[in-house]
Parts: sequence; C-alpha cells; structure tokens
Amino acid sequence: MTGPADVIFYVLAALTVGSAIFVATLPNIIYAAVALLFTFCGVAGLYVLVSADFLAATQVLVYVGGILVLIMFAVFLSNRISSVKLSNPVHFRLPAAAICLTLFGVLAYTAISPAFVLKQEITYQPTTARIGELLMTRYLLPFEVASVLLLAALIGAALLSRPDRPDIPRPDMEEPK
Amino acid sequence: MVDGILNYLWLVPALPLLGVIVNSVIALFVERPLLLAEEDHGAPSHGPSTRGTSAPMGEGHGASHAAPAYRKLVAFVGPAVVGASFVVSLLAVLALAARPAHDRLFVQVLFPWIQAGTFFAPAAFQLDPLSSVMILVVTGVGFLIHVYSVGYMSHEKAFARYFIYLNLFTFAMLLLVLGSNFLLMFVGWEGVGLCSYLLIGYWYEKKSAADAGKKAFIVNRVGDFGFLVAVFLIFWTFGTVEYTEVFGKIPGLAASGVLTTGIATAITLLLFVGAVGKSAQIPLYVWLPDAMEGPTPVSALIHAATMVTAGVYMVARTNALYLLAPTSMAVVAVVGAATALFSATIGITQNDIKRVLAYSTVSQLGYMFLACGVGAFTAGIFHLMTHAFFKALLFLGSGSVIHALSGEQDMRKMGSLRKHLPITFTTMFIATLAISGIPGLSGFFSKDEILWKSFSSGHGHVGLWLVGTAAAGITAFYMFRLVFLTFFGDSRMEPEVEKHVHESPYSMTVPLMLLAVLSVAGGWIGIPHVLGGYNYFEEWLAPVFAHGAEGAAHGGAHASAALEVLLMAGSVGVALCGIGLAWYLYRVRTEVPKEIADRVPGLYDLVLNKYYVDEIYDVAIVRKIVNGSIWLWEAFDTAFLDGIVNGIAALVKGAGERTRRLQTGVVGNYAFSLLLGAVILVGFLLWS
Amino acid sequence: MAPISIDAAALLTSVQSIVPEIIVVATAIFVLLLDLAISEEKKHLLCGMGLLGIGVALFSVYALGQGRIEGFSGMIVHDGMGAFFDVVILSACALTFLMATGYSEWEGTHKGEFYSLILLSTSGMMFMAKGTDLMTVFLGLETLSIPIYVLVGFHRNRMSSLEGALKYFLLGAFASGFLLYGIALIYAVTGTTKIPVLATMLYDPRILASPLFLAGTGLLLVGFAFKVSLVPFHMWTPDAYEGAPTVVTAFMSAAVKAAAFAALIRVLLVALPGMQPVLWKVLWGLAVLTMTVGNLSALVQNNVKRLLAYSSIAHAGYILVGLVSGDVLGGQASLFYLLVYAFMNMGAFGVVMLIAQKEDEGYDIANLAGIGFKYPALGALLTLFLISLGGIPPTAGFVGKFYLFSAAVKNGYIWLAVIGVLNSAASIYYYLRMVVYMYMVTPDVEVAVPRPPRILFSMALCASAVVVVVLGIIPRSVLEIAERSVLSLLM
Repeated sequence: MTGPADVIFYVLAALTVGSAIFVATLPNIIYAAVALLFTFCGVAGLYVLVSADFLAATQVLVYVGGILVLIMFAVFLSNRISSVKLSNPVHFRLPAAAICLTLFGVLAYTAISPAFVLKQEITYQPTTARIGELLMTRYLLPFEVASVLLLAALIGAALLSRPDRPDIPRPDMEEPK
Repeated sequence: MVDGILNYLWLVPALPLLGVIVNSVIALFVERPLLLAEEDHGAPSHGPSTRGTSAPMGEGHGASHAAPAYRKLVAFVGPAVVGASFVVSLLAVLALAARPAHDRLFVQVLFPWIQAGTFFAPAAFQLDPLSSVMILVVTGVGFLIHVYSVGYMSHEKAFARYFIYLNLFTFAMLLLVLGSNFLLMFVGWEGVGLCSYLLIGYWYEKKSAADAGKKAFIVNRVGDFGFLVAVFLIFWTFGTVEYTEVFGKIPGLAASGVLTTGIATAITLLLFVGAVGKSAQIPLYVWLPDAMEGPTPVSALIHAATMVTAGVYMVARTNALYLLAPTSMAVVAVVGAATALFSATIGITQNDIKRVLAYSTVSQLGYMFLACGVGAFTAGIFHLMTHAFFKALLFLGSGSVIHALSGEQDMRKMGSLRKHLPITFTTMFIATLAISGIPGLSGFFSKDEILWKSFSSGHGHVGLWLVGTAAAGITAFYMFRLVFLTFFGDSRMEPEVEKHVHESPYSMTVPLMLLAVLSVAGGWIGIPHVLGGYNYFEEWLAPVFAHGAEGAAHGGAHASAALEVLLMAGSVGVALCGIGLAWYLYRVRTEVPKEIADRVPGLYDLVLNKYYVDEIYDVAIVRKIVNGSIWLWEAFDTAFLDGIVNGIAALVKGAGERTRRLQTGVVGNYAFSLLLGAVILVGFLLWS
Repeated sequence: MAPISIDAAALLTSVQSIVPEIIVVATAIFVLLLDLAISEEKKHLLCGMGLLGIGVALFSVYALGQGRIEGFSGMIVHDGMGAFFDVVILSACALTFLMATGYSEWEGTHKGEFYSLILLSTSGMMFMAKGTDLMTVFLGLETLSIPIYVLVGFHRNRMSSLEGALKYFLLGAFASGFLLYGIALIYAVTGTTKIPVLATMLYDPRILASPLFLAGTGLLLVGFAFKVSLVPFHMWTPDAYEGAPTVVTAFMSAAVKAAAFAALIRVLLVALPGMQPVLWKVLWGLAVLTMTVGNLSALVQNNVKRLLAYSSIAHAGYILVGLVSGDVLGGQASLFYLLVYAFMNMGAFGVVMLIAQKEDEGYDIANLAGIGFKYPALGALLTLFLISLGGIPPTAGFVGKFYLFSAAVKNGYIWLAVIGVLNSAASIYYYLRMVVYMYMVTPDVEVAVPRPPRILFSMALCASAVVVVVLGIIPRSVLEIAERSVLSLLM
C-alpha cells in the first residue's frame, strides 16, 4: 500500500539518514553542523508524520534553534579551531563500521520483529494541551526532577566556563594530532 | 555446681583480648612517644645492635638495663592474661571431665552473628574433649612462652608492640579452636595468619624478614582459598556450618544419598588444601622455614606449638567427613608421610639451628597428618600435644642458645656449650630424647601410636609404616646432630662471642624446665594397653572420634599385641641407630660428614638447598603469575582494544607510547569497548 | 476542557514520599546562596551547612518510618528499599562532606558550587534509588551524573582531572543513550514505563519472548552496567577516578555505585524476575568478567587511586554475584555489601588522601612507606579498611562477601562462588601490598608528614572504622533491615 504518506515518509527518512551520514563523515566541522540541521529537520518531519505535533515543534525549537546554534557559536568562538581537523583518524573506520553495522543489524532485527504493537490508524489530534496537563499531573515528579537536573547543569556550566583567577595559569591544552 | 565454671568459658579468649587492649593503650600512649623521642635524640645506647640483627642482643644485659615502669607493666600484663586464661581453661576442662562421657559437649552462644532465613551462624564457643585439649595446649604452652618472651625480648625497644601481637595471636588461636562453627574457625584462621605475618616481619627493617612475611602470606592464600570454598560446599550440602548440626546430619544425608562420596571427597580435599597451607605440608611448606626470621619465642609459639597445628585440628575436627572419603584419607596419609620423610632429609644438612628445628616441625606435622590419614585421629592429636611440649622446648632452648651467643644461629660456630648453659643443655637434651622416640618420654608414646596405627589401621599400609619409621630414624639422627654440634665437642665460637656466654635469666629457664617436665610426662596419659598402661587420652577423645575409632579398630582386629610390641621395638631400634650414627659422625669421626659431602656433592647440594623447591616455585609459579597478570592487564586494557582498532603495525610502533591520552583517540577505544559489549550482550539475549 | 482537579491529600502524600530529597535539594540551593553572602575565610561554614542539611534529611528518613509511601501517581515510592538506600547514599554524602572539611582546605575546593553540586548529585541518586518508573530512574541517573561530570573536572588546572571528566562525560552520554533507547523499546512493547506494571505485563510469554523486549532489556542493562562500571563497560573508571579530586572519587565509588545498583536491583527483582532463566547467564558472565579483570588489573597498579579504582570495579562484580540468583537472599546480600562497601571504601580513600601530599604524584604507593609506625592510628585505620575490602574476618567486608557467595552457593551457582572466592583471595594480595608498604618498607626519604586531620575528618574515619568493625561482629540487625528492605520490594 503506497500512498502519499508513504512517499513523504521515505523522502524524510532519506533526508534524515543521508544528512546524518554526512555529519559523521564530513571532515569540516562547519559543513557537518549544517548537515546536522537537515537531520534535525528530517526528524521533526517524521514526528509530524506520526501526529506528534508538540514534539515536532519542540524538536525544531530546541534542536535547530538552540543546540545547533550553540554548536555554531562554540565553533566560531573557539580559537584555533579552524586549524584543527576534527575528524576521526582513518584507521578507526573499518572496525567502527563493522561494529556499527552489527549493532544496526541487531536493532533492525528487533525493529522488524512482529512484536511491535501497531496502532491501526493514526488519528491526527492536537497533543500539546494533553501533554501540558500530563506534565502537571501524572508526570509532575519527572518534570520537577528535570528542573533540578537543569539547575545542576547550569551550575556546572557556569563553574566550568567562568574564567580562572589570574594567579592560576590555564593549562596548556595540547593540540590534537 | 562444678558446671558453673563453664559459663565463664568466654573468658578464655576474652582475657588475651584484654591483654591486647591494655598493651595497645600502653604502646600508643607511652611507648610510642618514647621511641619517637629516642629517635629524635640520636641513636640510643642499645639501638643499633638490636634493630636489624636477628636476635635481641644488646651489649650489656641484665642489671645495666633499668626497665621503665611501663615495660614492667607490659611484662606483667602480657603473660598474666594468658596465665589467667589457662586457669579458666583448666577449670572448665575439669568441669567438663566431671560430666559423663557422652555428655561432654558444651556450647556457649554469645550472640547471634550471621542470620539469614534458615541460615544461622552464632558467635559461640564449643568445649568438647577435642577443643579442651587444644585450649590447654594453647594457653598452657602459650603462657610459658609469654613468660620466656619477657626475658628474651627484654632488650627490644618495641616491647609493648610485641606483646600486643603475641596476645592477639593467642586470642585468635583460641577463637580458632573454640569456635563452634566453620565460620568462626575461619575468623581465627585468618587472625592467626595475620598475627603470624606481623610477628615474622617484626624486625621489618631486615629485608629478609619482610620478604618472609610476604612469602608466608602468599602461600597461605592458596590454603585459605581451599578452606573457604570448602566452607561454602559444606553450607551448600548441609545448609549450616555449625559443627554439631553438620556432623549430626552426616548419617542421615549419607543414607539419603545427598552426601555422596564425591561431595565428601571434594569438601575434605579442599579443607585439606587449607590445612596444607596452614600446617606447611608438601607442596606448601616453603614458607615455614623462612618464617624463622621472626623472634624465637614466636617460632616456638606460632610455628611449632600452635598455629601450624591448626590444620591438624581442622582435619581431626572434620573426621566424620574424612571417614566418608577414602580418597581424601589416602591423600592426607600420603602427603603426611611424604612430608615427614622429605623435610627430615632436609633437616640433616641445615646449619642454622632454627632451620633444623623448622624442618623438623614440618616433618612432625607430617606425622600428625599421617595419623589422621590412617584414621588414627586420637594419635594425631596426641602427637600434636606432645609435639607442642617438646618442640616448644627445643625452640625456646635454641633461643636461649642464640641469646647466650649474642645472636649467633650457625651451629658450626657453636660447640661445648654444655658447660656454659647447663639448664638449657639438660632441658634440650630431654626434648631431643623425646622427639627421637626414646621409650618412656612423651614423644615415644605418641609417635609409636601413629606408626602402629599406620600399619594396623584399616586405612593404613605397610609402606606408610616404612616411610614413617625411616623418618623417625632420620629425626633421631638430625636432632642428635644438632645436640652434638651445639653442646659437645670443642668450642668453635668467635672469641668475642665466647666472652659473653652466659646462662639465661630465670624468666627464660623456668619455662624451659617446666616444658622439660611436660616433655617427659606429657605422654603418660596415653600409654598404650599393650604396655600395660591405660590410654586415658584415647578414652577422653573417644566421643569426638567415635567414628574414627571404629575405622581404626575395624582394620586393627587382625593385628596382634605381639606384633605391636615387635614394631615398637623396631622403631626404637631405628631411632637408636640414628642416634648412634650421629654419635659416630659428629663425636667420633668428625671428619666423615665433610668427606661424605665432598664425595657426593650433587646430592649434598641438592639437599642443602632444600631440593631447590623455592627456586622452582619462583620460576614456575610466582613469576608466571606476575607476568601473567601484567600481560592480562596490558592485554585487556591497552593491547586488546588497541590491537583490534589500530592493528598490529600500530601496536608495534606505539609500544612505548602512553595510550591513555585523549588525543590519541583512546576515548574512541573506550566507546568501542562499550559498543562491543552492548552488541554481545543484546545479541546474546536475542539469541538465547 | 475540564479543569485539572487536584487531589490535595494525594499531593500531600506525594510530597511526603520525597521529603528527604526535597531537603537535600533545598540545602543545595541554600548553600549556593550562602556562598555569595559569606567572606572567603568563612567558607568552611558551607560545609557545615551541608552537613546540617544531610543530618536533617537523614532524620526525615527515620521519621518517615518503615511504611510504604507511594507518590506522584506511582512515579516514586518510599519503601524499605528506598529508605535503606537513602541512608546509604546520605551516609556516603555525609562522609564526603566530613572529609571535604580537610580536603577543601588544602586543595582549595571550598566553594559553594562544589558542595551544592555534591548535594544535587545526591538528590539525583535518591530519586534513582526510589524511582518506580523508568522515567524517574532515568532522570535521577542524569541528575546524579551531570554534577559528577563537573566535579570530576573540578581541578581545572590539572590535566588528568580534565581528561577524566571529559572521558567520563562523553562515554556517560553514550551510555545514557543506550539506557534511554532500552526504556523506549520496552515502552514500545509493553506500553508502560512503570516498574510494577511491567512486572504484570511480563506474565505474558509473548512479550517475554519478543526480540524488542529482549533488546530493550539488554540496552537497559548496558546503561546500568556503565554506571556501576562492569567490565567491559568499565573503561572510563580508572581515568575518571584517578583524575577526580580524591574526595569526589570517594563519593563516586560509594554513592554512585549504590544508587545505580539500587535501581538495577529494583528493576531485576520487581520487573524482570520472569527473565531470570535467561538473564542469569548474562549477569553470571558480567560478574565473572568484572571480578577477574578488575582484580587482575589492580595487581599491577602503583598509583593508589588507580588501584582502588580497579578494586572498585572488582567490587561491582562481587555485588553483582548477589543478583545472579535473583532471590531475596542474594538481594539482601547485595544491599548489605553496598552499605559496607560505602563505608570501607570511603574510609580507605580518606586515609589515602590524608597521606598523599598532593594530587597525582602524591598517590604513588611508595608514599605509604613507613606510615604504619610513624602514624600508628592512620596505619591501623587503613589496614582495617583494606583487610575489610579484602574480605578478611572479623570485618564487615568478610561478612558481606560471605553473604554474597553463600547466596550464590545456596542457589546452586557453585562455580560462581568458587571464582568469587578465588578472586577475593587474589585481591588480598594487592590490598596487603599497601599494608606491606606501610609496615615493612623503609621509606627512601623522611616519612611524609600527613596534614593534620581536622576533627571532622577524623570523625569520618572513625565512624567508618566503627561501622566496619561493628558490622563485622554483630551484622545481624543490619542484615535483617536489608532483608526487610528486599521483602518490601516484593510486596
């Protein structure tokens, strides 16, 4: 059964996977970051396809709007980063590919196994309100714990990025080979 | 009423523990500040010569040495607590003896120790005929050795520390023999081991002492492993580790087929591995001779009278299990006999007086195992007791000699000490007669019972008897060699040493004399029926070894009294031959031993070097393990993963390179390991 | 849309179930704010404040009692097990603070962030240990991890500290991914993340056999295995432990392990008992591999921190032995051992950090030479902790190991116990090697003078020593508590 939904799905999947491959293999980190943008967008599209509207919006907002921009900033602000070739050495590729393919095989095997509980048909409904309600009721605790987590992350980030006192010299970071 | 004293059984181990506490307080708050102050004010007058030499000999003894008050306190507390413990033990044993024979079992539960579901192991002490013999030996001989130590260690700086260790050892040993279950025995087992390492390494500045401590430690690991696994097997089979329950369940479980011969064999062999380690039998005996680096009273207490006999005690304690496993019995007997003979031969060539005694101890322990292996557990324990008397005496006597000779241990530099050290000589001579098996002395009765049982028992064999008798002859030979070299002939002492030769103080000679009395009379409680005596000892232990006695009697039925006397005469004859040979070689024709050594140099060297067992172990085992673990570590943590990832070429190239650095991409390797593990784990789950 | 109705009583119960956690988080925030208000000389007050908060939290655990309080619609539960681990984790945290009084003085970690990160991490651990929903467990895990990543790299001028932090962080993120993916797969099959509900779903053999569920379980295990550093997911441990400020290393080794094991025990005993016939093989293999690799690697280490890191890997293996059988006795043994391990390991780290003059080179084993006689109390304490780690009686470590192995034996895993005992025998070699250095090696140079222990620091060491000795001699009451805790899970 092929319908327009299937076509869209395959297009989005190809976009996601294809750009992800570029992310992993491109030697230039800026290009890789841009490729990551397409991956994120592809995933957001897939979310829309399974009627997860809130998730899709969050994906775009947080990942594309937040994280990706952050990566870009980090890359631009880091000194000497342009002179560094941030890529894995060549001799990693073969065993890494082998083990990843094996993992892919294992996961693919589980994915195509008939155990998935499939919904018969997807009903397109807005989910945002329901999610908000759940966050305030059933998932109140995880929601609050997440805030503790964010607090910790905030403190940690501030601590690590705060400039040192002048009397302590910064360690001389060795350049990666 | 008499029974009331049994409720104070807990005092027996508690008193030495009290000594530990008191001495620790003294050591920490009085002795240590003094030692530190002394160190700051340069070398003290008696410092250099005591530290770093093997015996505690200062230049001026006795009066010139005004002991600080705290040392007097230590010198009182240390022995007194053990003495008090002996008194309590004696009273408790008398109370036990007042009970009818079938009722001689007293268990005092202090508090529940470990409990989970049906599993229950209390902290409890069990007094029965077997443990009563052991506590009397431990506290009695222990007390004498403590008293002796006061004199022997009087020049030692860390005086309180020494008595902490010694008291602690006594406590642990009493825990071992009094514990009412295998777990508590294991607690004592580890405890005595720990104290033993501490005392061997007492003169830790000496590298050889520290090394000896380590060696004892490593060798005992093997034994402890066997013991612990055996305890788990016992737990698995019986569901309990309490002696009374385990031994009570044996008939039922054996009948129902749960306790097969295979399981019994596995348990007993593993236990025997533990016993072999602790009691220095082939192949794990190598640590005991090196343990002689410790102070001599320690050798007497730990490495002759008590700790090393723990293995014998354990085998005797589990006699009911051993009797279910004929294979184990045979192994025990053969190992015991082989050790008896093998180490006796090494004893012939040693020149260090303490090493001769050390090999002699190994050999005598072999006898005890031989006895257990042929089902004559009573004889084994009997020999354990008499051996404690005469071997402690021999060690203490040798200590007295060493003390008199300012630390000299080489017998080639002794001689004619008979005149200088009359008490030491007399007492040591008695002990030598006892160990050689001269009729009438304690060693004769115990050793002969072993030899007789090894011949006549159902588990026995004429070959075992032959080996045992041969070893007895060699024992007589090397012991008299020791006596002749040390006390007879011309003086071969260094002139400087000779000037200072003196008999030891009373605190040392009185214990010698008391032990001499015991060495003579200790055997009279077990005079065999055939010599018209009444074997009280056998009767006393009969409730514990009921099964053992059956086994021994079973095969013994065909043997006649005449044969017993004949064999007895034979072994005495062999011993006399050994003595005669020693007389001939070391008194009459003193040049012959040298000639013999020259004529068969290969054999002589082989024996002198203890058959090179230490060297073989070092090459074959220790290095392999060390190399193996280095290899494994490198292989797994660095080479294995790097090898996969980087290939052989990179490995060779980067051999000297530090691989931990982030920049070399090792984080990638870590992640790789993680991924690999995940794939295998998930793959396995999906597969199965 | 109907307005959300709030059940006030239920909310109250919910809050009640997380009172200790609330106190800890509040203390963390308070310490952070207090840091701004006080002057440089009075920074040790921060530590005192933290201790006070921990004390109150401990009291609240006691006050909540033995009962079972379920909160937040089944997201979290305060039961016997939760209380037990609250006590273990809070004790470890308290010991860390007590030791930090001294450590911060000489390493300059008297900072509000330092203490509040430890407290936040502690709260995450407690959430993880009490979580009855995989979501709570995951969030707890992250809340405990993020501060730890930062704390490992707290010494920003030490290369090894940064290196350890970065490695731990990268791999930790990786492992969290596995855990989350596992949870997602399990949700995909069963439609729930609640641990008790999962248990009821698993009566269905079709679910048990479905590859999706099996893979989910496997990935879940990988996530936990990483946190408790089971071989082969252990690679980060030596680097992170060596690089971290020692007081953090001590905290990680005790508390993180306890929290991760708590969640693992809950999942294994409550949700997955049906999988035991398959899972025991995996756990058996992991336990054997972990014990063996950990111990053999520790044999050749010369850096004390690294040595203790490998020893801690080996201990994770021992604790796993209790979980192989998946019964009450085993779980109880694991609980008991985790408690004992927290005290003996932190005690050992405490003495070691006192002896070491400075990070990195101060932890060479040669620095221990001669300590035993110069500082008899320190020497005796370290010896006690080490023989307890080695499982020599009469210490708590022996009782704990005996329990673990006898649980294995009772359930018929004889070989596992034999391998465990063999490992334990081998491990004594490297523990005693340190003792040998202290008592039998004469130092090349003047014996280093350890920093004067502050009263609070000494208290931490003595408290650990008391626990190690007392639980070795009279372990019964704590064993009973552990038993009740495990039974409370299965109610």
